[in-house]
Amino acid sequence: MIFTLSWKNIWRSKRRSFVVIGAIVLGVWSLIFIIAFYNSFGAAFTRNAINHEHSHIQVHNSDYITEPDLKYQLKDVDVMKVALDSLSSIKSISARQKINGMIASTKTSAGVQIYGVNEQAESITTGLEDQLVEGTYFSKIRRNPILISRKLADKLKVKIRSKVVLTFQDIEANITSASFRVEGIFDSKSPKINEGVIYVRQSDLNRLVNDKGIHELAILLNEGAEIDEMKVFVSSITDNTVRTYKEIAPEFNLMEESSVMTKRILTVIIMLALLFGIVNTMLMAVLERTKEIGMLRSVGMKKRSVFSMVVMETCLMGLMAGPLGLLLGFLTISWLSDRGMDLSMYADALKEYGYDAIFYPEMDVVTYPSLMIIVILTAFIGAIYPAIKAISLNPLEAIRKI
Amino acid sequence: MTVIQTKNLKKVYNPETIPVVAVDDVDLAVEEGEFTAVVGPSGCGKTTLLNMIGGLDQPTGGTVSVGGEEIGRMSQSQLTDFRLNNIGFVFQSYNLIPVLTARENVEFIMLLQKCDKAYRDKRTLDILEKMGIRDQMNRRPAQLSGGQQQRVAVARALASSPKFILADEPTANLDTKATESLLDIMAQMNKEEKATFIFSTHDQRVIDKAKRVITLEDGRIISDENR
Ligand SMILES: Nc1ncnc2c1ncn2[C@@H]1O[C@H](COP(=O)(O)OP(=O)(O)OP(=O)(O)O)[C@@H](O)[C@H]1O
Ligand SMILES: [Mg+2]
Repeated sequence: MIFTLSWKNIWRSKRRSFVVIGAIVLGVWSLIFIIAFYNSFGAAFTRNAINHEHSHIQVHNSDYITEPDLKYQLKDVDVMKVALDSLSSIKSISARQKINGMIASTKTSAGVQIYGVNEQAESITTGLEDQLVEGTYFSKIRRNPILISRKLADKLKVKIRSKVVLTFQDIEANITSASFRVEGIFDSKSPKINEGVIYVRQSDLNRLVNDKGIHELAILLNEGAEIDEMKVFVSSITDNTVRTYKEIAPEFNLMEESSVMTKRILTVIIMLALLFGIVNTMLMAVLERTKEIGMLRSVGMKKRSVFSMVVMETCLMGLMAGPLGLLLGFLTISWLSDRGMDLSMYADALKEYGYDAIFYPEMDVVTYPSLMIIVILTAFIGAIYPAIKAISLNPLEAIRKI
Repeated sequence: MTVIQTKNLKKVYNPETIPVVAVDDVDLAVEEGEFTAVVGPSGCGKTTLLNMIGGLDQPTGGTVSVGGEEIGRMSQSQLTDFRLNNIGFVFQSYNLIPVLTARENVEFIMLLQKCDKAYRDKRTLDILEKMGIRDQMNRRPAQLSGGQQQRVAVARALASSPKFILADEPTANLDTKATESLLDIMAQMNKEEKATFIFSTHDQRVIDKAKRVITLEDGRIISDENR
């Protein structure tokens, strides 16, 4: 009976109820949109970092991690390669020889990390070839070709076919210099690679340092592969250190944590705004019905029932509005996640942080029920004060003249 | 049988500041089946007296017993329950629930009393019929005239089978014709349903229909006549 009364009370002032319902719908919708948009940021960042920088899993000599020295090389590279090559969950593996050195043009010089790579494997693993903006990919220049980033090229003031000199220590710690010719200029999605990584052929680097040692295996998995399982497997076949991208780059965890935090704060802010609106409107509704509530109390309706009536009325609106907002939010982000949101006007700024200009808003399905619970909870909390107001009215008010 | 018994009933408003003695030392007994009017000039204490009898207002002194039970001893929630099961209320400005139909309004108190559906349905239709508003039972209060609304209110009070019905100036908002027909139907219910009515009024025509008239002045009973 209280239910019927609450339900009917919702419709006595349609405009007010629509305002409340509309506010909840809008609040839920915008919350979903913001969360999904926020998620797309994280996803884009992770995607780029995996596909263009870290891959899913990396293997190093454990000493190399603390002191990246030429002499700390991977053990049993061949054993690992044989074992991993047959796995269907692995998309590609890039084995890199990495050393620190200097690059110098006629104008200036810079400290760099030199990656000696297998051209094909590197291209599949990090998409290096696709990121070329000028020149060619290890195909035109016969002797000592080198790929450098747009940023470095600008800094060194070099062009395609320009000569640069690399200086580094060989395996016996002798300083070695060799001249290379710029074959390609790339623009990586990874700010770190743009900053200070250059690519040369592994065979060239092997010859110059006088060693064939490998320092890093970067393993890219196929979509849907279990990263942690794979890590366990790789660890089982080698005593090198095996790490996932999250372990390599702590910013992933940091980002995840801060994103969870930000989403919580946003949720609280939006729900507080909603709460304020609900308290206000329901208070108005209660005060408008002073006489009626007084009459109900006079004829013998219990305080508890009056309280429930007000709470129920509010929660029912939340129950109607919540799913509507969820549906609207779901439709919006489904549409956007297919189409993508184009933020190219901010492309330059976004690129600085390793982002693409197109975002694909997404939200976990488990978020929907929790949002629904939050909405109902908000409605409930919002109803408490007006409901208390309703039961603290003096029933005598009803019997008095108007 | 005595349904209402007051002893030295007294009400003083604002006892600390400017005391107003609204009801002063009232001893009153109302028997089952009475049709009683409480009359007197404005401000004489009619509303205050009825409110105390109805358990809506606390007396400053004295006692009110309903059906032999002293209601002054009851807690708030006991009183609420007591009102629900023992007293019918009719208000000057009808005070029906605007979102419910006439029929639902009449059924409402029985719902609060947790009567079963079959009984509620039968009783509701029966009372609506007797009150002559069955044809309007599916209308909401806003679609009824004042006289019709007040009949619904009386029907609502009657349907819950209270020990007595309190009506504070039930006809104050009604025109002559509606006043007369409301009083006639109340008198009829008093006879047919053995319902006890206590109502306050200013209106001479209403006073004329009462079987017992209690006149108040400055909170005291100055005359009490049966006709
Ligand atoms: N809440 C209150 N606070 C202070 N004084 C009050 C209050 N209610 C009533 N009074 C005073 O008590 C006295 C009795 O009032 P009451 O309303 O009972 O009279 P009444 O006979 O019903 O009058 P009316 O015919 O105008 O309805 C009046 O002097 C009134 O001013
Ligand atoms: Mg009065």
